[in-house]
Amino acid sequence: MFRYLMLAGLLLFLPGLGALGYSVYEGPSAWLTDARTFWGTPISLFVFWIGLAHAGTLLSAIFLALDIKLDRRTALIAELSTLVSLVFAGIFPLMHLGVIENFYMVAPFLDARGNLANARSPLVWDFCCIAVYALLSLLFFAVHLKTREIPALEKYRKPMAWLLFPLVLWVHTIVSLDFATTFVPQWRGAFFPVYFIVGAIFSGLAMVNLLACADGYRVRLLERLQLICSWLLCAIWIWDFLFKGYFCTSAFIFAGVLPQFRMVAAVRESRVGRIFLSLSVLIGLFLERYYLVSPMAGTPGEPGFGWIDLGLVAFSVGGFMMLFYAARSRLNDSMEGEGTYFGEVDGSDMANVEESEQFREKTHGLAFSYIQPWSSDEYKTLRYPLLAGFVAALLFVLWICLKLPFFRTPYENVEVTLVNVLPLVYPVIAFVAAVALVCKALWIDKSIEVGRRFYVSLTAGLALLAALAGAFYAGGASETPAGSFASAPLNVYNPADSAHMELVWKARCAQCHGVDGRFNEKFVREFYPVPQKLDASRIDSLGADSLVKVVLEGRVNMNAYRGRLTESEARGLVMYMRSLAGAPDEPDSAGEAP
Amino acid sequence: MSPLLNALACLISLGCASFLWRKDSSPYRNGALLAAFLLLFSVFTYLGAGDSIAADPSLEHYPFRMLALCLCFSTTSLKIYRRRYLVLAQALWCWVELFGAIALYYRGVDAACLRIAALAGITLGSTFLSRISREMEFCLMVFWIAVWFFF
Repeated sequence: MFRYLMLAGLLLFLPGLGALGYSVYEGPSAWLTDARTFWGTPISLFVFWIGLAHAGTLLSAIFLALDIKLDRRTALIAELSTLVSLVFAGIFPLMHLGVIENFYMVAPFLDARGNLANARSPLVWDFCCIAVYALLSLLFFAVHLKTREIPALEKYRKPMAWLLFPLVLWVHTIVSLDFATTFVPQWRGAFFPVYFIVGAIFSGLAMVNLLACADGYRVRLLERLQLICSWLLCAIWIWDFLFKGYFCTSAFIFAGVLPQFRMVAAVRESRVGRIFLSLSVLIGLFLERYYLVSPMAGTPGEPGFGWIDLGLVAFSVGGFMMLFYAARSRLNDSMEGEGTYFGEVDGSDMANVEESEQFREKTHGLAFSYIQPWSSDEYKTLRYPLLAGFVAALLFVLWICLKLPFFRTPYENVEVTLVNVLPLVYPVIAFVAAVALVCKALWIDKSIEVGRRFYVSLTAGLALLAALAGAFYAGGASETPAGSFASAPLNVYNPADSAHMELVWKARCAQCHGVDGRFNEKFVREFYPVPQKLDASRIDSLGADSLVKVVLEGRVNMNAYRGRLTESEARGLVMYMRSLAGAPDEPDSAGEAP
Repeated sequence: MSPLLNALACLISLGCASFLWRKDSSPYRNGALLAAFLLLFSVFTYLGAGDSIAADPSLEHYPFRMLALCLCFSTTSLKIYRRRYLVLAQALWCWVELFGAIALYYRGVDAACLRIAALAGITLGSTFLSRISREMEFCLMVFWIAVWFFF
């Protein structure tokens, strides 16, 4: 069965790969982009897959943390679907950036390279939070997978679940802030965090139910929760409509109306019916994300979904099926548990657990469920790692916000408040606590015996991580443009210098103004009010001197570059921008100032 | 939202909470009730705010704040795992307030720091609670109502 599903995935993946290649070659003009939000299909797919990526681990961790029984196979399927979804969720923002090779500039080195690293931007939060989430999810999955070979690991699963439970909610909330912190009318919503979490859980439940159907079994608890989530999401959509007057009918039909057929016994008892219900939810939620990201798309006079967009969808769906079932086949033996279901059974061992709990409750009264405050086993395991996490987070906040003499940062040109860095606080806590928990398990409790091979892999992994961090920090250059140009005054009329200015433009200005000077909406439009156009005639009327002053001293939302660019570089950049703008009579051929 | 309607919102949340988690109630019943309450809170906010709904950003997450308050009230009727769900319900309220405030901060609205700090404090403080007596339940409810009204 898995082989057929992988083959089906391959059939979708191959044409999708063509669409992906064409999109990367052609850039953002290849796919559908909304006229108002400037976001398009890659972001819709990112939000869709990141929702699925959060739901799998969330379900597994939430059930474990709250003592709700979920069999080993279902929990591992949910966790594996998270990891595979993360792979595809990570691809699409890179495409959307336009300047793919510069993706590392959103890494949290703040202003160390002096070009972007805007700690106020939700993009930076996304990068940090999703990176921490991916690492912890991988660790959670690996620990779960190995518990059979190393039973001592079981002790660490629940503490990890308590770390991951808030982290997943936190990270998906940060994704929702990509929208909620902007000025687009359709994205007004301080309620977006709740909305996104409910949507993610709903889509995750549909995905796990679908994967369980493919495995030939069902978990009634998850099916019930799927139906309940549909009601909650409908209520949120109605509030969205009352508040803003916008409504996505197609998403409502697929994810709101059709799932109600679960109340019909003939549909819910048939495997095809259950597959249909889960697919309907996934389609509906993709349509909802698509509508949310590109509200103007498909309206009269606006472009709709094209072949390239369909190709990107096929790429991600096919790729997911291939990768998931390849891993699923490989891990088949490790994933089967004592509570494994074969065929169309309904989780009778879970019913047994419920009965035994009810029996204990009747026999011992309510006393068995009571635990003294701060005395649970998972708390005892987690307390020191958590303390380390809190100390690290405190130092992080002091380092960034207070700029104390002992905590001097390499970046002091960007104003950052506590509210700006607050979204990064819990991921820092979770990351440090997880690392401390691993160290505790390995070297303090010594409850797990590991061989030499583990230490070699660990050293290699850390070395790779350090090398990547160093490469990101250096930004691929050992000498700053300011240093290289300061020794040689620039002659902007020299064609050789124009090539240098192109490099400086791409390094310093392209994030906002675009490589071609036509404005990179990814980094600007969604975070700042729409700026004035800087077409050729406006550049000429402002004059080179005043523009050089803007580059060096800054203006409104543009950072000052004095100290990071020489005056001759600034003048060269102005001339380069003027050359990009073309002749004064050419309409719409210029950059815009943030 | 006027103070009178704000008080009414608190009262509605309290009233709704009494219907949740009743003995032998199915997940369907509780799920349907939660969705219905959210719908009720949305309609209440929509009608109560009137024309100011588009102009006042703080109303964006008002129904969700009501739902979080309702969940906090409802935990006092739980029989088992009371402290755990009490802490989780308060954490949910704190989360709605915190991230709602961050979203609004980017649109020029000041964050309700006192409310967030009070909720974070009571959430952390609740983790120290031993068996929750009726008196303690009453104190908690008074505190939540105070946070709703005054912060």
